Amino acid sequence: MKPNGALKLLAEVRDLQIVDKDGKNCGICDDIELEGAPGKPLKIKALLVGPGAYEGRIPKWLFWMVCKMAGSRMTRVPWSAVDKISARIFLNVTGEEVGLRKVEDRWIRKFEKVPTS
Amino acid sequence: MGGLIEITLGIMTAVGGFVDVSEMVFAAQAGSRFIFSLIWVFAIGTIAMGIFGEMSGRVAAITKQPVFNLMRQRLDLGPGIIALIGSVVTSLITCAAEIGGTATVLKYLTGWPYPLLAGLTTLALVLVIWALPFKWIERLFGLLGLLMLVFAVSTVKIHPDWGGVARGFIPQAPVTLPMKDLVTYGYFVVAIISAVLFPYETYFYSSGGVEEEWKPKDVTVNKLVATVGFGLGSLLAISILVNAAVLFRPVHVDPSVIGTSALQAAIPFGKTGLLLALLGMVFAFSGAAVETGLSSAYSLSQFLGWEWGRLKKPHEAPRFTIAWVATFALSLVIVLTGIQPLDLVEWAVVLSIVVLPATYLPLILIANDRKYMNQYVNGPISNTLGWVFYAMICVAAVAALPLYFVTQGGKL
Repeated sequence: MKPNGALKLLAEVRDLQIVDKDGKNCGICDDIELEGAPGKPLKIKALLVGPGAYEGRIPKWLFWMVCKMAGSRMTRVPWSAVDKISARIFLNVTGEEVGLRKVEDRWIRKFEKVPTS
Repeated sequence: MGGLIEITLGIMTAVGGFVDVSEMVFAAQAGSRFIFSLIWVFAIGTIAMGIFGEMSGRVAAITKQPVFNLMRQRLDLGPGIIALIGSVVTSLITCAAEIGGTATVLKYLTGWPYPLLAGLTTLALVLVIWALPFKWIERLFGLLGLLMLVFAVSTVKIHPDWGGVARGFIPQAPVTLPMKDLVTYGYFVVAIISAVLFPYETYFYSSGGVEEEWKPKDVTVNKLVATVGFGLGSLLAISILVNAAVLFRPVHVDPSVIGTSALQAAIPFGKTGLLLALLGMVFAFSGAAVETGLSSAYSLSQFLGWEWGRLKKPHEAPRFTIAWVATFALSLVIVLTGIQPLDLVEWAVVLSIVVLPATYLPLILIANDRKYMNQYVNGPISNTLGWVFYAMICVAAVAALPLYFVTQGGKL
């Protein structure tokens, strides 16, 4: 499926694994940002990634708990960065280019200093 | 020929890795308390495990998605988070139970202090997972776990009433028992279903399939390993039950202490049997600890979309690595608090059955979805059996906590 095709948004985009053009995991599409106006077509503007995007999808008490444990950061990935969608969302850019994988890469740099890792 | 060796090794690994501390405890107690009348629960639980295991492997081969990715997509985020928390907590407690069980058996073998052995066991497992390739880890524990076959050989040697054993495979409710025993029987039914169908086994199996990049051509091998391997593994658990019924019940031995079951091999085979049984238990329990520790990390990483996998070096999947190391560290802390491994086993079993419906619902839904699965979608048999067993799991999940409290964990 190509990103300009018709999509059943919730079923086909949300909660899918995002993979960048190098095949690296970049998190999950936690929600989507839409744009449009009365009389105009509704389009996806961005994928929202990170626990901050959980707001509105889960009860407030659970969102509060998630934020306490994992923070409330959220990254917007422009829809133009989406290459194709199947069981996963494939990007046409690297995760770094759209602000993903920050935490993963920080840990990778730390782990590279550990012998035998 | 290479394929045949692969299948044989896969089946042997599934057999050796089937029995863990909770199956051993509940099989021995079931035989000692209710003779052969709970064998059918192991049989039905194993068929269910074969069905769900095969389904998870097939889904992994076709969609390249492990169970926890599916869980989030099909359950939605809120219920998915609750299922994630339940699964991580269950895996943690189960991992602690397996480490405690291993340390207990090692104490019988060495006489060293239990806390020291728990620490050494945890350290050894972390080092093994860190250093060895995934395939080696799976084979090491699975194949050395085959030492547990001494229990099956013991069953043949002690000449049980084979007619009675065969009748045990027929589903039954011993209505002639007093109400107190009948309720305890119900608790054992639920606990055995839970112990056989532990969710970590599915997480581990399907994640392994994704990691090893199973393809549609591997679906047949997956079917053989899941059905034959788990089936033979279950016979091992049933032999422990039969041995307990024949050897323990007549002399009123309650095998509620981990390690008592080793006597089942000592009675017919002396010191050699005892040693083989204890060593088999060490590898079976520690293999299960590895699976639960990794399952916890698989769940978390897949749910949050991190890099994950044991085929990757630790620095290539750092948060996955931190997750499994932390699981082992927390499990050790739980063991060192002095909670008895047997109590941990009971909590793990009761919590697991509560988590099971959330684990298997997304799996059945996706395995039934032709859009994802194409010609590998569930056939009528696996579909019908899948839903029947799913209904059984839901009933067991509802009954688990009340039965646990009413029977005080089967101690009534």
